[in-house]
Amino acid sequence: MTQCISQCRDLDMSKLLRSEEMTLVQIFLSQEASYNCVRELGELGAIQFSDLNEEVNAFSRNYVSEIRRTEEMERRLRFFAGEIERENLPIPADYNVPAAPNQKDLIDLEATLEQLEGETRQINANQEALLRNFYELKELKHVLNSASQFFQEGAAIQEEERTSQQPKYDEETGNVPRHLSFLCGVINRAKIPVFERVLWRASRGKALLRHMEIAEVLKDPATEEEIPKSTFIVYFQGEQLKMRVKKICEGLGATTYPCKEDWEERRQTESEVDKRLEELSSILLETKNHRFRMLNTVVSSINSWIIQVRKVKAIYYTMNKFKKTETGLLHAEGWCPKNALADIDRALKKGAAAAGSGVPPILNTVTTRRTPPTHHRVNKLTKGYQAIIDAYSVATYQEINPAIFTIITFPFLFGIMFGDIGHGFIMFLAGLYLVVKEAHFGKRIKSYEEIFTMMFHGRYIIMMNGLFAMWAGFLYNDIFSLSINIFGSAWTPDYDALTNGSVINKEGMYGLDPQDPNQYSGNPYPFGIDPFWNFSENKLTFINSYKMKMAVILGLVQMTFGLVLSLYNYRFKGKTLDIYCTFIPQMIFMQCLIGYLVFMIFYKWFAISAASPEQPSLLICLINMFLQFGAEIEFGSNLYPYQRYVQSALVVLAVICVPWMLGLKPLIEHCYPRISQASYAPIPQSYEQFDNEGEGGASEGDAEGEEEPHSMMDIMVHQGIETIEFTLGCISNTASYLRLWALSLAHAELSEVLWTMVMQAGLSMDINPYVNPIAIVITFAFWATLTIAILLVMEGLSAFLHALRLHWVEFQNKFYQGEGHKFSPFSFQRVLDGDDEEV
Amino acid sequence: LLYTIKFEGSKMGDMTSFNIDNGYFEGLVRGYRSGILRRNDYHNLVECETLDDLKLHLQGTDYGPLLANDPSPLIVQTIDERLKERLVHEFTHIRNQCFQPLAQFLDYMTYGYMIDNIILLITGTLRNRPIAELLPRCHPLGRFDELATISIAQSPAELFNGVMVDTPLAPFFSECVQDENDLDEMNIEILRNKLYKAYLEDFYAFCQKLGGTTADVMCPILAFEADRRAITITINSFRTDLLKDDIENLYPKCGRLYPEGLKFLKNAEDRDEVRRICERFGVYKDLYNGVGDGPNDKTLEDKFFEEEVKMLALSFEQQFHFGVFYAFVKLKEQENRNIVWIAECISQKNKNKVDNYIPIF
Repeated sequence: MTQCISQCRDLDMSKLLRSEEMTLVQIFLSQEASYNCVRELGELGAIQFSDLNEEVNAFSRNYVSEIRRTEEMERRLRFFAGEIERENLPIPADYNVPAAPNQKDLIDLEATLEQLEGETRQINANQEALLRNFYELKELKHVLNSASQFFQEGAAIQEEERTSQQPKYDEETGNVPRHLSFLCGVINRAKIPVFERVLWRASRGKALLRHMEIAEVLKDPATEEEIPKSTFIVYFQGEQLKMRVKKICEGLGATTYPCKEDWEERRQTESEVDKRLEELSSILLETKNHRFRMLNTVVSSINSWIIQVRKVKAIYYTMNKFKKTETGLLHAEGWCPKNALADIDRALKKGAAAAGSGVPPILNTVTTRRTPPTHHRVNKLTKGYQAIIDAYSVATYQEINPAIFTIITFPFLFGIMFGDIGHGFIMFLAGLYLVVKEAHFGKRIKSYEEIFTMMFHGRYIIMMNGLFAMWAGFLYNDIFSLSINIFGSAWTPDYDALTNGSVINKEGMYGLDPQDPNQYSGNPYPFGIDPFWNFSENKLTFINSYKMKMAVILGLVQMTFGLVLSLYNYRFKGKTLDIYCTFIPQMIFMQCLIGYLVFMIFYKWFAISAASPEQPSLLICLINMFLQFGAEIEFGSNLYPYQRYVQSALVVLAVICVPWMLGLKPLIEHCYPRISQASYAPIPQSYEQFDNEGEGGASEGDAEGEEEPHSMMDIMVHQGIETIEFTLGCISNTASYLRLWALSLAHAELSEVLWTMVMQAGLSMDINPYVNPIAIVITFAFWATLTIAILLVMEGLSAFLHALRLHWVEFQNKFYQGEGHKFSPFSFQRVLDGDDEEV
Repeated sequence: LLYTIKFEGSKMGDMTSFNIDNGYFEGLVRGYRSGILRRNDYHNLVECETLDDLKLHLQGTDYGPLLANDPSPLIVQTIDERLKERLVHEFTHIRNQCFQPLAQFLDYMTYGYMIDNIILLITGTLRNRPIAELLPRCHPLGRFDELATISIAQSPAELFNGVMVDTPLAPFFSECVQDENDLDEMNIEILRNKLYKAYLEDFYAFCQKLGGTTADVMCPILAFEADRRAITITINSFRTDLLKDDIENLYPKCGRLYPEGLKFLKNAEDRDEVRRICERFGVYKDLYNGVGDGPNDKTLEDKFFEEEVKMLALSFEQQFHFGVFYAFVKLKEQENRNIVWIAECISQKNKNKVDNYIPIF
């Protein structure tokens, strides 16, 4: 029985309308139990801790050393991640989220990480030394190889010089003359120009440099970066120059290698080098394998470790917000939803039991005047819509949450602007795909790029938008700018007369007469626009009038609804005065002007037909209502009898509303300050009572929530702004709703252009029977691409934007305050998702 | 007339055209500027007990994860390196993307570091230090390809002909081309001052050529720098056998003390005389306030730094000029000096003088 009642209370609709009831709680924890308790609370994610140590420096808080330890662990994990990346090992995708470790496991994990890091660094150092050796030998080998070529060139140069000058050198083919010394080595290829230049300057042109690119890729032994290198040889004369060349080589990071002139000796060194290289590569292979095995053990658990360490860090960050009391307990304070109190209590008990602590955790609720955070419970569907509202501003605590209505009104307005069965269907399918595959994508969402992530989060919005666009498409009878004839058109053209041309008028048109029963059946098309309009020349005039009127009607409905919601807000907060001084005149004002316009629209639809003698223009009628106040209405613009008196009364009523809104509330507050004061303080004064019971109470910031008595001037100015905004807004907001018409017109026209200019052109092409099908395929591809890119994506975005605006501005400014701050509970889920900014 | 206006505009970006080429970079540098530590950051840093505390606090500032990947017992040198790396990163980020004449302006800023590096290397080789040990100590903003080969030079003339002739510093050597003296400590010092003099004068002329707000902001800063050098040279020359005219040759001629002040200055015989000369000039009247050897007194060097920081910080008050780039680099350098000083005090457990940093904003 009790269960049933509690279930019924959960289903209470008014709970959906407002944010959760929050309460401030105090928790007293024993120090040994605190870690486990906070761990449980983190898994639960239902409490938002306030920082009780705001004035304390980051490094003098209680758990700084623990945070430092976790940071050290994170650093090690980053080191491993870097090593794994260097080794190109794939990290297995593991979507399991491990629980935060308890303190004992944490110490083990720390030790493991330290040991692994030590070992890995050891191996790296070994490997680096080996690699250095290895590459040096390789370089030497290259030097030896290119030396032969250098020497041959050298001989050729000598030959040349000998013929041009006197014979100066010894005759020793293939080798350099004795008194010309040389230096061989390897240098970074990028430094060759500098090397050449400095050599030339320093030796005054008396040193000769030859260099050759090394084709093989040599790497930096430490970073394994590829460095293109070249071998070089420098010929010079004399000891002094030798010193200089050596210094230059040293300065530019070139390594010089001993190289003999004698070919035989060189060959001998080369074979020695080869032998050592062979040895080294086998040792290197061994080291690499060792390293690989080592990292492989890390790979399987690194993801789990990263998550665990992140959680631990979050725990200590949270515990740093707690205050130590004199009795040695930790004092925590925070907001939580009232209905989560039991869960929190359970979590605390579980944590204390896990820690084996003798002192049970104490959970107190505290009455305070501080404004609680706003917490809306959301599910997969409502999350996206709540995000739309929160993007504007977070609702004031316990005010009516527009997100609930937005779930329907948003796609509805979107559909009005995006009305096309075909486009809507494609969009619906796209949304549906994401919804069906949401479990698949949801796990991997972090690995996708930003745009996809955004679409994924809005998947339900996309799906609903598509659905409503289809519905509006049926209303407009638009499918890729064509029409479908489901119920049979009400119009029947006289085909015989059409063929003999007798019905074609001067403009070359064929006019159908709605009063002729042969041409118009008298029963309008049951749902949406008659497909026959699609052939007519005056389709646009007809559709525009229809869509414009619809925009105004929808605008009025949504704005009136917004006003009604403001009534609920006033009633909830006990602001009776506002109901009489703001809500009622606002409602009258709006209904007198815009409401009357809507009434006329409906009246005209019902009462005026093609047969009526008078065809009044509504716009002129509305303007004349003010400009020719009280005047006789001319023939031709009369809608109904006594129209003149009704209109005059409405204008008078609307004008009376202005001073009513403007002056009454300040006047009453001025004359009877107590009435208005009372209505401002609905919170019971139980706080002081609580304070007297001992136990501290809420620790700070209580003054924030106190309402100060407003001065007369403030109220006047505030009310003046409100009034001006509302009265002007009534007209401008209604005009703003005309965007519904404008956007839908643009959409329909664009899709028509695309159809006639691209697809129809392709279909009516007649080149030859073999080319035609290909041409059609090509034009279809072209048309489909443009449809997706322009009509679905671009137009979709623009319709989305305008729907957003209509909600944020035209709808919400009627009732929405949006001065709250969002509830951001301490939760591991949020920490891991990166939503928590602090950790 | 129209042509001249357009030319002027495109030459030095005034209000109307500055942002075409330089707006993005000015935005960047102003963003970097807002990351400079404030007074209360320093108050917190000074209270740190260990370098790890310092690291933790720096995490809360714009530096963020600067030291996150350095294993835990931190040393001051690592902090210094990371700070420098970051400054260089920010500087090169702008330098690599910007247009002329800003690029030229930024290059001018690096020349000062290049001169310092050259002197560092020459002094090092004179003391027979291996070049591999010296190179990492060079300021990264003043690195250039030929730098490492400086050790082959025995005299200023050789230095110019052998190494520097292809670098942008070559014009500054104009007075040293014929100098065949051996590079001993004294000559190195003279070389440094000659180079710096030529550099400052050239930079000054360049800023004047740029004109507009840049000249308005940069010229006083460079003039101050020139006077600072002149005063320092005078004080350092007291116990040497340098001729008065030689000293005068070392003074940069773009300061406010030029020409009269420098004439007095070269004849100064002791510190008090220098002080009297400075006090005669309105701009430097307050410079010596609080300077002395007492426990609460500041050194003249610190006073100069303070004065400089004030001028540099003010340059951010004006828009559409290049001075902000100069100011940012110099202020960031000062900040690095501050942090390193505090870190040094912390690591040596000697906090008596920890307050000797120079707060910026």
